[in-house]
Amino acid sequence: MNSPGSIPTATLRSPARLMSALMLGLTGVASFLIVAVLLTVLGYLLFRGFGGLSIDFFTRLPTGNPQDPGGFANGILGTLILVGMAALVGVPFGVLAGIYLSEYGGRGLGAWLVSPVRLVCDVLAGVPSIVIGIVGYELIVVPMKGASAYAGAAALAVIMVPIVARTTEEMLRLVPASFREGSLALGATKSQTILRVVLPAAGGSVITGILLAVARIAGETAPILFTIGGSRLLPGDLDKEFPSLTLQIYNAARSPAPSEQQLAWTGMVVLIAILLVLNLAIRLATARAIKNRVGG
Amino acid sequence: MNVEMTKDVVRMTVTPGNPPQPSSPTARPPRVAVGPSPAMRAGSVLQAIREGASVTSAVHPSVHAHPAAVDIRGFELWYGSFKALHSVSMPIPRGRVTAMVGPSGCGKSTLLRSINRMNDLVDGVRTTGALHVGEHDVYAGGVDVISIRRRVGMVFQKSNPFPMSIFDNVVYGLRIYGERRKDVLQECCERALRQAALWDEVKDRLKQSAIGLSGGQQQRLCIARSIAVNPEVLLMDEPCSALDPIATQKIEELIREIAEKLTVVIVTHNMQQAARVSNYTAFMYLGRLVEFGSTADIFQNPQLPETEQYVTGRFG
Repeated sequence: MNSPGSIPTATLRSPARLMSALMLGLTGVASFLIVAVLLTVLGYLLFRGFGGLSIDFFTRLPTGNPQDPGGFANGILGTLILVGMAALVGVPFGVLAGIYLSEYGGRGLGAWLVSPVRLVCDVLAGVPSIVIGIVGYELIVVPMKGASAYAGAAALAVIMVPIVARTTEEMLRLVPASFREGSLALGATKSQTILRVVLPAAGGSVITGILLAVARIAGETAPILFTIGGSRLLPGDLDKEFPSLTLQIYNAARSPAPSEQQLAWTGMVVLIAILLVLNLAIRLATARAIKNRVGG
Repeated sequence: MNVEMTKDVVRMTVTPGNPPQPSSPTARPPRVAVGPSPAMRAGSVLQAIREGASVTSAVHPSVHAHPAAVDIRGFELWYGSFKALHSVSMPIPRGRVTAMVGPSGCGKSTLLRSINRMNDLVDGVRTTGALHVGEHDVYAGGVDVISIRRRVGMVFQKSNPFPMSIFDNVVYGLRIYGERRKDVLQECCERALRQAALWDEVKDRLKQSAIGLSGGQQQRLCIARSIAVNPEVLLMDEPCSALDPIATQKIEELIREIAEKLTVVIVTHNMQQAARVSNYTAFMYLGRLVEFGSTADIFQNPQLPETEQYVTGRFG
């Protein structure tokens, strides 16, 4: 027992302080390494790919001729269309499933469905994308007798749905129960409460989840490797072979011709740039969502 | 029974900021013993309740002076296998303020949330008995819960303005009932905010987020939101427990004012508050209604010694 007023001196402090300094050092080194690795990758990518950036890359089609390889105009456009198609299906399904898991599943009719649905979502989110690509090939491409944008978008949507569903569920769960109570006590129905109070309150973070899923599928290669077939033409019929940026990077990188390899490097820079823009959008949306929630 | 008498009660039984002393009952007028059972001695009713016996509530005849806005008859409620309310019968007078007091876990919030069926949101709730709002039995089969909640508003312990503008908060109820006309919404918004004594403070920033308001303003906004839809009954679940004394005072003034137009039922842990704002007070214990009468009688002249002990702070 210390007498009142006596403060323990350095005896206990030194090891604790040492430990504290050690922790600071370790966490700092780890953070530095992560940044260093990322910068190395990005730097090397820019070093190899930046030189190939030209108007041609964005406006011309790939020629297949190593003397004049052309550009990836079709691939960029194709990826945007594929991601858009996948999102058109994946976002509504994912958001609705997330709403079900968070708002409707808890009790009453269909409560037994919640755990299985959540489990399926988690398992589906963990399935390697190559598996989804090959299964998509067997289930869609083979019966339809050919690769198509539909098959590719379907494979991407399958990857997207569980991500959107689970993030939507998590974000809706963060909405205070008092908002729901307040709305219900005013005589609102459950759907009015969800649409007018819960979803808007979670709005920014739900959009963040959607953008995360979009960013994820925009960079996917394996699911479309077997499903869209690839094309040297601009995107056209959705039920025919379709171009995609990631697929073109994959193919060009395997080419022996240095000019085609250059195209692959440049393609990667463009892909990373697209994802970076998406990521910034996500951060902006998240920051706004957090700002809205402060004090709520 | 009127507000003046209620104020007298404050002066006589409770000195604000100075908890009642156990050894100073001398200033109180002599208690008239008219308990339900002559054998009842101090503590015996609560003891009987603790032992699980069924007891008869001491309901004063004065509560029948006004027609009942909410008539609770033999109402019982279970959370799963736990019986939270034991045969509560309580006519809540129309156009008056009724306070429900009692130690934590006595079922007063449960009873309050039974009136607009907010307990439906809890898993495993079962009820028996009747609970009428106006002529309608709230628990009759096929009753539209939505329409009940439109007639019975509720203000919660923690203010819960929605994360939207002040205006959108106030007219939320009107909008979900389908009102689209802008002039009607604006008119109702102003009237509700004036009734909630908030208009002057927010009239220049109706379009700003309600989250930026102070705690007391948020709670008054929630009151405005509730009364904007003209409910018959307003339930208040410890509406001031998270507020400072000045904000509390404003809410209490507000309660007395809005009670001229509707019936208010308020749950409170604060005896002074019950004495200040209510016309009638119900004392509950372990899921039973122990005594229910005019606030003046409950605080000055209760039928049961247990009630007197609780409201003067010597028990619970």
